[in-house]
Amino acid sequence: MNTSITWRLALAGAICSVVLPATAQADWPSQPVRVFVGFPAGSSPDVLARIVTEALSERLGQPVVIENRPGAGGVIGIQQMLVSAGDGHTFGTTINGPMTTAQRMMDDTGFNVAEDIAPVTLLATSPLVLAVASASGIEDLESFIAAAGAEVDALTYGSVGQGSGAHLTAELFAAEAGVSMLHIPFTSYAEVTTSIIGGEINAGFMAPSAAMSFVEAGTMNVLGITSSEPFGQAPDVPLIAGNAGLSDDFRAELWNGFIAPAGTDEAIIARLSAEITEILSDPEVQERMLGMGWQVAPGTADDMADRIAADTEMWGAVIDRIEAQ
Amino acid sequence: MQRDWPEVWGGLILAMIGIGAAFYAWQNYDLGTLRQMGPGFFPVAMGVALCGFGLIIALPGLWRRSEGVPFDIASLLLILAAVLVFGLALPRLGLVGTAFATVLIATLPAERRGWVWRGVLALAITLVTVLVFHVGLRMTLPLWPRL
Amino acid sequence: MNTWDSLLLGLSFALQPHVLVYCILGVLLGSFVGVLPGIGAMAAISLLLPLTFYMSPEAALIMLAGVYYGAQYGGAVASILLRLPGTPQSAVTTLDGYPMTQQGRGGIALFTAMVSSFSGSLIGIVVLVMLAGWLSGLATRFGAADYAMMMIFGLVAASTIGASRPAKGFAMITLGVLLGCIGTDVNSGAQRFTFGHAELLDGLNLVALAMGLFGVAEVIANIRNPERQSIAARIPLRSLLPTRDDLRRLPLPILRGGTLGSFFGALPGTGSTLSAFLAYATERRLARQPERFGKGAVEGVAGPEAGNNAASITAFTPTLTLGIPGDPIMALMLGALIIHGVQPGPMMLEARPEMFWGLVASFGIGNLLLILINLPLIGIWIAMLRIPFNYLYPAIIVFLCLGVYSVRGLAFDIVLVAGIGLAGYLMTLAKLSPALLLLGFVLGPLIETNLRRALLIARGDPMVFLERPISAGFVLASMVLLLVPLWKIWRRKRAAADF
Repeated sequence: MNTSITWRLALAGAICSVVLPATAQADWPSQPVRVFVGFPAGSSPDVLARIVTEALSERLGQPVVIENRPGAGGVIGIQQMLVSAGDGHTFGTTINGPMTTAQRMMDDTGFNVAEDIAPVTLLATSPLVLAVASASGIEDLESFIAAAGAEVDALTYGSVGQGSGAHLTAELFAAEAGVSMLHIPFTSYAEVTTSIIGGEINAGFMAPSAAMSFVEAGTMNVLGITSSEPFGQAPDVPLIAGNAGLSDDFRAELWNGFIAPAGTDEAIIARLSAEITEILSDPEVQERMLGMGWQVAPGTADDMADRIAADTEMWGAVIDRIEAQ
Repeated sequence: MQRDWPEVWGGLILAMIGIGAAFYAWQNYDLGTLRQMGPGFFPVAMGVALCGFGLIIALPGLWRRSEGVPFDIASLLLILAAVLVFGLALPRLGLVGTAFATVLIATLPAERRGWVWRGVLALAITLVTVLVFHVGLRMTLPLWPRL
Repeated sequence: MNTWDSLLLGLSFALQPHVLVYCILGVLLGSFVGVLPGIGAMAAISLLLPLTFYMSPEAALIMLAGVYYGAQYGGAVASILLRLPGTPQSAVTTLDGYPMTQQGRGGIALFTAMVSSFSGSLIGIVVLVMLAGWLSGLATRFGAADYAMMMIFGLVAASTIGASRPAKGFAMITLGVLLGCIGTDVNSGAQRFTFGHAELLDGLNLVALAMGLFGVAEVIANIRNPERQSIAARIPLRSLLPTRDDLRRLPLPILRGGTLGSFFGALPGTGSTLSAFLAYATERRLARQPERFGKGAVEGVAGPEAGNNAASITAFTPTLTLGIPGDPIMALMLGALIIHGVQPGPMMLEARPEMFWGLVASFGIGNLLLILINLPLIGIWIAMLRIPFNYLYPAIIVFLCLGVYSVRGLAFDIVLVAGIGLAGYLMTLAKLSPALLLLGFVLGPLIETNLRRALLIARGDPMVFLERPISAGFVLASMVLLLVPLWKIWRRKRAAADF
């Protein structure tokens, strides 16, 4: 082939990739796309990923394969994504933990969020609700804070583990409300709810979906929700923000996001981010996610990077306080 | 007839594991209090207990007589090697290459001589493996070696 | 709605043609993949999960449940014929099932396992139907102190299983508990014995442990063992059918195992494992010749198989009414429901009676199918033993490695199997029981977290273990189990002194 034509083609390609990022990658994806999920098949991060990748595979015209690599709160999935990185067809989804707090909680996660991970877009967020047994007679946030403030560690609360979102949220809440509660770690929300209903512990922050069926059955009361706006799955639950003397900007949410290994072509990331945003605007997708307790939260890669930075700082301060105790 | 060496060695190894684990946990993890037991409490307690049980197993063996047990070092090493190769090669050689290599190594300690049956067996097992796991169960595994 | 109406509702739901087809599909797939050690239900359900997107949640649950209990029938085959248990409860089945195979009575062991699984499931179904309401509330009555003491009781009761001397049994349990400490400590978040490997943060892979201790060790011990090579010659055709003496021994162990299992199954987390070990321990204690156990006693297969199958049926109550999955496979099934927007919870029985009772009815139909399919297959499985061991064992090695890999797709776990296999072979030489190690490994972390949780909630007061009636009951029962043998020895010595 004529060298000058090749050269011109290459130049044209280079210009296109600057001017028209989406079309420059016309040959992408050229092989099946792999998405690593750090949780087992059937878990809520896995199902979220499946809802998205199902639609994504139609749009990309290539199969999108979920690779479940569960372990260490999602950290293993990211490690495995990084091991297979480099072909431009390897991605992952993650919850907030490995992106924000894992570096503080674990000896060594084996990766550095800023250097190794390229955010693509947030997928969805989930607030937590504060729940107590209805037998306790506590029906609103004010009487809960009064009961908790009676003395140090007057009340116990359950979480899904040391350093989990439920634990850190409770500590953030306690600090803002000026109370101190005794932390009892469990491994799942189901265990926490069982223990609350059995009267063994007093309270717990948990996913709305874990609590609402017990509220319906009349065995549990939810006192407040940690989102900044009323939440679709539990619209009647009052916000914690601005309630019972807490500040108006109180907000604590778990989130789920789509990520790529650092070094992935910017154009590919922009394309994925745009495709996923469109997928998430489908009302049917929104409804399915809401049914599982997740509110879609599409955005750009920069939005996700900002969220990572803000949450890392906020939870970092909470962890500092826990460690100081 | 000889001393009951398997019991003696077995007990001593257990005792060493126990005391080693207890010491490591004691050095590295907080013991805590009764109210708030630390991460070190259980491993230390269990390690010390294991050390005790190990000695109880080992000591009487010194006076007991028993028949020797067959210790098949060749089979042991070669089978462990086969498993190791499977684990290390799977990400690089793919399912086909890994299964084939593993079967070849695993057949080495067998007493039947010759290489033809080993090759045929490796091919057959590789084929069955691909059919069951790749075609049937659709496990996401690389099939061929990555070059 | 009374029990009878509920059952009719369930049957009319489960007998709809499309539901029935999914039920049949589930149990068939389950019993075939169950034969692949370690892979079993987990891989099959992950495979089917995307399919369930397009099914009704009821049909999806019935099909996945079919895979789940179907796999237990298949799992017995690998445990009994090849000593390849993928779970702690099937490890109990190997204790007497595998010696039966070595004596050429593998067919009878399989027959016993199938019949006991079937009868155990029926007992579970009956208990579930009669006591559904009570069972669903049982878990909330158990606090951390109660769980801790119940599991300690389980360890004490099982400590003599498969061990020639008590010290050996206790040593294996302690080693198991110690191995269970590997990983992230629930209470403090500390990373124990992980030596910088993130793969160990969630603990050792249970399937890797079981495959290394049993499968790899057994292969190594048998490659040059002439007895194993000639096992096929010792299987006459009529050994497929149990003798009248075998049959006479079955009903009571099945009844006891099934009852035990029905109760423990309703307590989430360890139901199947605890039931299988306790059923085995019970049979051994009640037997007139306890020395037969571990050498091919049919009761040692019947009791545990009935127990773990009954438990896996009643385990669906806490799973559906409290949302607590008993094991990873149950968690997968819960996930399938949540995909459909069905949130398990206390309203399940009232809000979706057709799902709950339809599932119960499908248990009956599915188990009937399973026994009809599997009894004729016994002959085929036994024929597998006629394959010369030289051809069989390399396949075992490849299959067990893939079984371990299928759990979470990490090659690291296969490398671990090599180390665990070495330990397993040494334990075989020293006659140490790997089954007890597995029990300690499974129960240890639960005992530790519940013990520490109970003390934390009680603000450090150890009296909590005696103040709660359930906990106090298990403390007392454990003391009795520990002291009775001592008292017997003392009495024997005094009797000797009187002479």
